[in-house]
Amino acid sequence: MTEQSAVTLVADVIPGREQALAQVLAELGRDPARNEVVPFGALHDVHYARLVTVEPTVLPNGRPVLGKLVYMADVDGPADRHLVRLVSLAGARLDRVFGHCVDYPVGRRATQPGRLAFLRARQVPAAATYVNTTGRTVHEIRREARLRDAIEEFLDRGGDWSRARPAEVREAIRRFVAGDRSLSWATAPRKSPGVVARVRAALDLVPLPLALLAVFPLVLLVLPFYLALLRRAELTDAAPIVRPDPRRVDALAALEDRVAQNQFTAIGYLKPGLLRQVTARTILYLANWGVRHIFNHADLTGVKTIHFARWVFLDGGRRLIFGSNYDGSLEAYMDDFIDKVSWGLNAVFSNGVGYPRTNWLVLDGAKDELAFKYFIRNHQLPTQVWYAAYDDVTALNAENNARIRDGLAGDLDEAATTAWLRRL
Amino acid sequence: MAAPAVTARLELGDIQGLVARGYADLVAARYLLLAVDDPTACRRWLASLVDRLTDAATRPDRTALNLAFTSAGLATIGLPEGALAQFSHEFVTGMTDANRQRILGDTEESAPERWSWGGPGTPAVHAVLMLFAVDDAALSALCAVEEAALAAAGVSVVRRLDTTNLDGVEHFGFRDGISQPIVEGLSKTGSAPPGTVVRAGEFVLGYPNEYGLLTDRPLLEPAADPGGLLPRDAGGSGQRDLGRNGSYLVFRQLAQDVRGFWQFLDGVAQRSGGGAQARTALAAKMVGRWPSGASLVLAPEADDPALAERNDFAYHAEDELGYACPLGAHVRRANPRDSLDPSPGTEKSLAINRRHRILRRGREYGPALPQEQALEPAPPDDPERGIYFICLNANLARQFEFVQHTWVNNHKFAGLYDDADPLVGPRCPHGATFTMPAHPVRRRITGLPRFVTTRGGAYFFLPGIRAVRYLASLDAG
Repeated sequence: MTEQSAVTLVADVIPGREQALAQVLAELGRDPARNEVVPFGALHDVHYARLVTVEPTVLPNGRPVLGKLVYMADVDGPADRHLVRLVSLAGARLDRVFGHCVDYPVGRRATQPGRLAFLRARQVPAAATYVNTTGRTVHEIRREARLRDAIEEFLDRGGDWSRARPAEVREAIRRFVAGDRSLSWATAPRKSPGVVARVRAALDLVPLPLALLAVFPLVLLVLPFYLALLRRAELTDAAPIVRPDPRRVDALAALEDRVAQNQFTAIGYLKPGLLRQVTARTILYLANWGVRHIFNHADLTGVKTIHFARWVFLDGGRRLIFGSNYDGSLEAYMDDFIDKVSWGLNAVFSNGVGYPRTNWLVLDGAKDELAFKYFIRNHQLPTQVWYAAYDDVTALNAENNARIRDGLAGDLDEAATTAWLRRL
Repeated sequence: MAAPAVTARLELGDIQGLVARGYADLVAARYLLLAVDDPTACRRWLASLVDRLTDAATRPDRTALNLAFTSAGLATIGLPEGALAQFSHEFVTGMTDANRQRILGDTEESAPERWSWGGPGTPAVHAVLMLFAVDDAALSALCAVEEAALAAAGVSVVRRLDTTNLDGVEHFGFRDGISQPIVEGLSKTGSAPPGTVVRAGEFVLGYPNEYGLLTDRPLLEPAADPGGLLPRDAGGSGQRDLGRNGSYLVFRQLAQDVRGFWQFLDGVAQRSGGGAQARTALAAKMVGRWPSGASLVLAPEADDPALAERNDFAYHAEDELGYACPLGAHVRRANPRDSLDPSPGTEKSLAINRRHRILRRGREYGPALPQEQALEPAPPDDPERGIYFICLNANLARQFEFVQHTWVNNHKFAGLYDDADPLVGPRCPHGATFTMPAHPVRRRITGLPRFVTTRGGAYFFLPGIRAVRYLASLDAG
């Protein structure tokens, strides 16, 4: 099984070059799949990719920080392999983008190894990542979508099926698929995860519960003090309700609702102090474990529209950047957050400055509907370049397509056949 | 989290009547789209009009009159920028905003550039005066009086929108307006099925909504209301509430291609050897109800007028897979009831559904065209016919726009692929389909044309009566 990786590169932008960089990004953004700089469509391992800039600022501790160029990609296979492919595809054209960044190799150092070394050195690990379905590759999603379309068209051509028995319909579909050379791959059963992958998953699963068990007495001891500190912070943290600037909302909305999916990128400061730092890191650590082992198949506590998401700390943990790819509109996405996973969002984002007031870490917060929606828009960044490899396939579609394919192989009894036919 | 049992006491005398009722007995109606030429004269007109506006406490038996403003209208009569900016972003930027067109499906033939009113190429609309009467004679008399008052106040009538009374049936031939939200404090809630009573704040500003919160509304410093005309903010801020008892009113002129609809379905029916009955049955699958109004969930095989009034059914509980009423049928996506994630069939699902309801108040326009006649080719002067879609809500983004974008227009709704609303939705570039679950395998209609086109529209604000009085008192100086 090919596991997906969340590649994140963070590079400092040379002061004064922000405008020029924005222009190049605008050029890429006009046609992310086929532009002349980095034609993402030619990278067959990429589900989603984006380039976003973060403006220079002064941290709350008074330290000025340079602007940043952030590259995020959700890819099949190891992150490093993706970087190698990226450099070999774009080559010197990468200079037009990253050439605006500090320490990018120029002159004689501007070689392929030099570029690769630069990108490798800019990698930042995610504090947590979410993958809708572990191991589902771009290649599979695309060809299973084509398979489903072809079967639907076959059924349309067949006219009236109402007098056929379910097994007859399935058999006709199987014959059609087997007889079409571009589809016959689908008749072979899907390879199940190998022993190595399963052992690795088990090894990844076990340590956290064991560690929790081991430190449980200590946790019990510390918990009352932690809760007292948390409550004091929750009751005194500022939670101002600030309506977003309408021009900002319009600029963000202009990038949305063009295909079946949308991108979301947001950045914010963590509240100062150890309490929030520890809380955010602990929750994200737990979340990362939870999405790998519990919510790893097409359903995040009832939210079935998120393809990928990640949380990455910046500036030594002073800031947190979040990026996701989801189906449908931002309004529906935010409503899902509020109605279905507010506890999870609260636990992470209430450590951020300006978040609506929570109680006991998980209660209220996002439930303050408009305050939460304003917070979202106020922290959102325009995603200047966004590539989506299968922009008309929702997560629900991809899951259904995979089940259609799986139902082609093997024997099914009448009930299973009927259930399978319902997927069409 | 269930809404508390306490019923909000609505100030019915301060709420315009259209919120409480669609005036079904007042069968004649006309909408006057207005433009303000002289703000001072207009405010004088408002001051005299306010006493003639119909409020929600009275049930009119002869005539009714309601008034709503666009954001351009509020600015023109003198509402300061700071107050205007507190209205919702959707209202302030308006229905024809470039980003909003994608949300509403107002593209291609429905693009605002092609609208007959409300678009960029047509005169600005500042307000809509809605006139209702028991018959045509009473409506004419009412219009004569009101239009004379408008002319004297320098308010011009940009357009007169006349309605047609089709006795509760819309142009495609289906009973309309059956399923309205049951609103706490406005409707009889005694016989409502559990989980279906919606809090008043979803439709009237200044009252708790389905989150138990007050939706944002324009609040003014007390100094901005020296006459003390406005109510105090129920949220306890000490400010004056310009929004209280008001509602956002969505107005869209939607042309229905009745000939195109029936001729297309006739072709589909004939190809599978069916006649008039098959044609109507296909249409019913697309609507989700039979012409009488009976739900397909309750009457899966044939129309049953005895079930026309029955609205106490659920989709997930009674027809989870859509064999009776397809998942993509118009009424099932406009109000999915108990079929929403994460737990379809539960109170949690109903609670999410309650956050996306709208109060519909539309009326038909253009001459009726019975199904048989619709199969004839169109004469050269075939008049436009359709619906003035009007709805009320407190949060345009979460209610009207969400329903339109995430449910009705969304070709991915409920796990579907290329199925936008078969009746009213736009079409995807690679072809629209309509999927009907069936045994042993689905039936599917491909190449669906667009049957409904947007011809005009605007977002309005329907203020409380005291707010109208306040607007009349504004001093442009």
